[in-house]
Amino acid sequence: MIKISNLSKSFGKLEVLKNINLSVDEKEVVVLIGASGSGKSTLLRCLNFLEVAERGDIIIDSEKTDLAKTNLNKVREKVGMVFQHFNLFPHKTVIENITEAPIFVRKETKEAASSKAMALLKKVGLEDKANYYPEQLSGGQKQRVAIARALAMEPKVMLFDEPTSALDPELVGEVLQVMKDLARDGMTMVIVTHEMGFAKEVADRVIMLADGNIIEEGHPNDIFVNPIHERTKRFLNQIL
Amino acid sequence: MIFLENIISIFSEHGIAFLKASWMTIAITAISLLFAMVIGLIFAGFKISTSKILNWIADIYIGIIRGTPLIVQIMFLYYGLANIVNLDSFTAGALALGVHTGAYIAEIFRGAVQSIDRGQMEAARSLGMPYSLAMRRIIFPQAFKRAIPSLANQFIIGLKDSSLVAYIAVTDLYNTALSVQGENYMPFETYFVVGVYYLIIVLIFTWVANRIEKKMDVSKPKEGIIV
Repeated sequence: MIKISNLSKSFGKLEVLKNINLSVDEKEVVVLIGASGSGKSTLLRCLNFLEVAERGDIIIDSEKTDLAKTNLNKVREKVGMVFQHFNLFPHKTVIENITEAPIFVRKETKEAASSKAMALLKKVGLEDKANYYPEQLSGGQKQRVAIARALAMEPKVMLFDEPTSALDPELVGEVLQVMKDLARDGMTMVIVTHEMGFAKEVADRVIMLADGNIIEEGHPNDIFVNPIHERTKRFLNQIL
Repeated sequence: MIFLENIISIFSEHGIAFLKASWMTIAITAISLLFAMVIGLIFAGFKISTSKILNWIADIYIGIIRGTPLIVQIMFLYYGLANIVNLDSFTAGALALGVHTGAYIAEIFRGAVQSIDRGQMEAARSLGMPYSLAMRRIIFPQAFKRAIPSLANQFIIGLKDSSLVAYIAVTDLYNTALSVQGENYMPFETYFVVGVYYLIIVLIFTWVANRIEKKMDVSKPKEGIIV
């Protein structure tokens, strides 16, 4: 589904990603871990071109992206993204947040987009909040709306950038539950998270980044129980 | 009490003339502000643009307008353009006021757009929205709402600045005051009266602007329920 080869990215003189190679299969759930500044969020943001890498290739859904030729908007339609700070549109209601892109980008009719949005809201357990404004929702509810909004574009891949880091502890569970359901339904997912319990339970593969390199990857049981790399051991010790 | 009597006599003698002049002031202000909004939008776009040339054009325009007095701009346009095209004083005045206020409105819009959280644009783009669509549907509506108080302030300044078109013979409020006090030799009372007219127009406008601001505050529950 995703194939990244030789990806490098710098911010000024700081090299954030160094020659990253990574493949994600269809229906696979990959969790990226690593200390802050390790490049995991940047890697995720490169996948939908919110950050543009200087070197390397990204193939998504067997289409290679060539910055000069490819319409990035078309690529982004296939790649849903959920942000740490939700980024819901505050001037639109919950249902308008979800139907905005389907109506104006995919040119769906308002009726079709709305009925799909209601189905998605039901899926994330918020069908009674359709006409609320984001400001009236709790953090966990906002993030579930943000997930529904991304799903409304019927993406092939979902990216999650620390989706629970801005939430009060008691609200983390409801968001993780929605993500588990999504994984169970066979969605291809790439997740940056510090929720190791969730990673153990849901991830097919865990990837450890340090200083812009992938230093270790494997099944969560291996990574969490028998990490090989010294930095992985240290990192896991610090957060577990 | 002579002051009060004089005022009443000015009102009874020239009240209608001042009312007509109020209409002129409102008309020239409204047209110039409409024009200023269009210019402001365009030049705010230039300033936000990644094109160096457009940034540069906007900087020059805003720099010149902010760096020279409005009365000079009015005279320059009226007498300067009169050599090329035949402009009546109303059109020249509206044009000058519009070009002037437009520069300030451009800065208001630019500031408002740039004050919107970067995450809003990222979220819109991540949903496949092209830049222009994201700007139009997501960023600008939020920015506009945020700009309303500053815009209202700029509109009031525009209304009062319109008094300078009296000097190119537009028969607005201020021009009427000039001729009335020339007739009656009561400058103090006459300027008091014209001040009252301006004040009333500004107060009405402020009330309307506040209503609009309240109405645009969409972050209120549609069904009146708070979670």
